[in-house]
Amino acid sequence: MQIGFFGRMGEIIGREVEIEIPASTGTVAGLRRLLAEHFPAAADALGDARLRACIADTMVDESHSVAGVERVEFFPPLSGG
Amino acid sequence: MTVTLTCRLAESAFDPWDELRQFAQASQGAGAVSSFTGTARPLSSDGEAVEAVEAMFLDHHPRLTLESMRAIVDAAARFGCDHRLVIHRCGVVLPGEPIVLVAAASAHRRAAIAAVEYMIDRLKTDAVFWKREDRASSSAWIEPSAEDRAAHARWEQ
Repeated sequence: MQIGFFGRMGEIIGREVEIEIPASTGTVAGLRRLLAEHFPAAADALGDARLRACIADTMVDESHSVAGVERVEFFPPLSGG
Repeated sequence: MTVTLTCRLAESAFDPWDELRQFAQASQGAGAVSSFTGTARPLSSDGEAVEAVEAMFLDHHPRLTLESMRAIVDAAARFGCDHRLVIHRCGVVLPGEPIVLVAAASAHRRAAIAAVEYMIDRLKTDAVFWKREDRASSSAWIEPSAEDRAAHARWEQ
């Protein structure tokens, strides 16, 4: 799965990451936990409720399925223009 | 009268005065042209310490940033302005460089002025950007100020 990170998250982890997702990772919440294991230095930032997930250009909540999803993006709070 | 809506993400420096001249020409027949230009500040006003800013970095999303800008330009239709424009920089912006140009033209002044205020107030909180201020000693990711949020909120009454 491709993961895109924006803003400060892109600095902490990298703007583009590709990881293998085990079948047990069913939701956005599970994906966050998996990413926190891969990137322990970013565990706190990944657990921040203000970090929102986006799939196919739509903001999704924590229970959203990631099964079969090719790309998930994570948005820190917006700065505005 | 034809409607002209312009919404553009600029990846390099743009000339707001040239853009405004073209906008005014395209809006011929409108009695009022109003605009706002925002430029990158040379000094950081974060907290007590004032420090020189070396650059701003505006991270953006390949589709949702422009979409968020378009939604704001579209929503400003409520003011009855037939001509509206938003140009916003992304990438690295140097102090003194224009970051945003907002313009509206209408038959009479109040609609054009209100539409510009509305669009910039909403851009400041709702536009999909992540901004980093690079100072001599450190960098910081910026979030909208309480003032920005209050300016936005007054349009929701």
